[in-house]
Amino acid sequence: MAARGDEFVDEAAEWAAMTPQERWAWSTKLWEFYLGMGGSLDPEPDSQSPFDFEELQRAVPPVRRAGLHSVRRD
Amino acid sequence: MRFLLSGGQACILYGATEFSRDADIVVLLSDENLHALRRALRELDAEQVFVPALEPAALHRGHACHFRCRHSEAAGVRLDVMSVLRGCDPFPALWERRSKVELPGVGEVPILSLRDLVQSKKTQRDKDWGHVRRLVEGDYLARKAGAADEDVAWWLAELRTPGYLRELAAAYPGAAARVATRPWLAAAAREGNDALERELGEEERRIRDEDRAYWQPLRQELERMRRTASRRDASRE
Repeated sequence: MAARGDEFVDEAAEWAAMTPQERWAWSTKLWEFYLGMGGSLDPEPDSQSPFDFEELQRAVPPVRRAGLHSVRRD
Repeated sequence: MRFLLSGGQACILYGATEFSRDADIVVLLSDENLHALRRALRELDAEQVFVPALEPAALHRGHACHFRCRHSEAAGVRLDVMSVLRGCDPFPALWERRSKVELPGVGEVPILSLRDLVQSKKTQRDKDWGHVRRLVEGDYLARKAGAADEDVAWWLAELRTPGYLRELAAAYPGAAARVATRPWLAAAAREGNDALERELGEEERRIRDEDRAYWQPLRQELERMRRTASRRDASRE
């Protein structure tokens, strides 16, 4: 149980306790779920961002997660 | 290529967030490194999605260059490239302080150090301040037992959680009184959470204003570049 009776705090503590590799693996699963639900890879409109331009928010077909991948060289 | 992972993906690795939809990197601004970056972007079949073009002058002024990868193994992935981060040291110092993480299937990844990442996240955006809080809090909770004086000084200067600040200031009153960037800290910590919340809020507002002021001329420049690019595209049609 969370010491402060707060499930969010409990989850955040669990996340913080993971190794970077474990977080990476979980984040990859989240990403796959996100894409499976039709999530977009483009940024959402954000009026607080210096890069809040519609050209940067064009929807593209979601394919796979952002971040780092080894890309095979031809 | 000499680069550092930054932004949301770095926050994931440090435990401050669970998800980010793009990748941000900081790169060394040199001819050789930009050549290597362009080669990597070609391998990713990356298209530029906005102004400015990937040129040393734009990166030097603090602009970001935005790409979308089209390679089949990274299709649609968004990549933002910068060389200068507001409020942070130049790249060589960031590189010296970098962290490294070995990721399965990827290899060793150089990452902005935790402290530099915290500094880079002090922006005008609400969501970045949540990341700042979690980054510093996570480091404090993980390492507070047996911490060095230098760690204590950094936490006192960067923690954004009133309860932890009070705990730390009570344990290290002398250090709390010496935080140059927070001359209010010792008194506010004695007064209580409300006083700390008030001072932290003022601090955040001031830094947000600084970030907006920093980006204002760059935004204007982006608008000019955007109009020029738009006219060029129209004349081609």
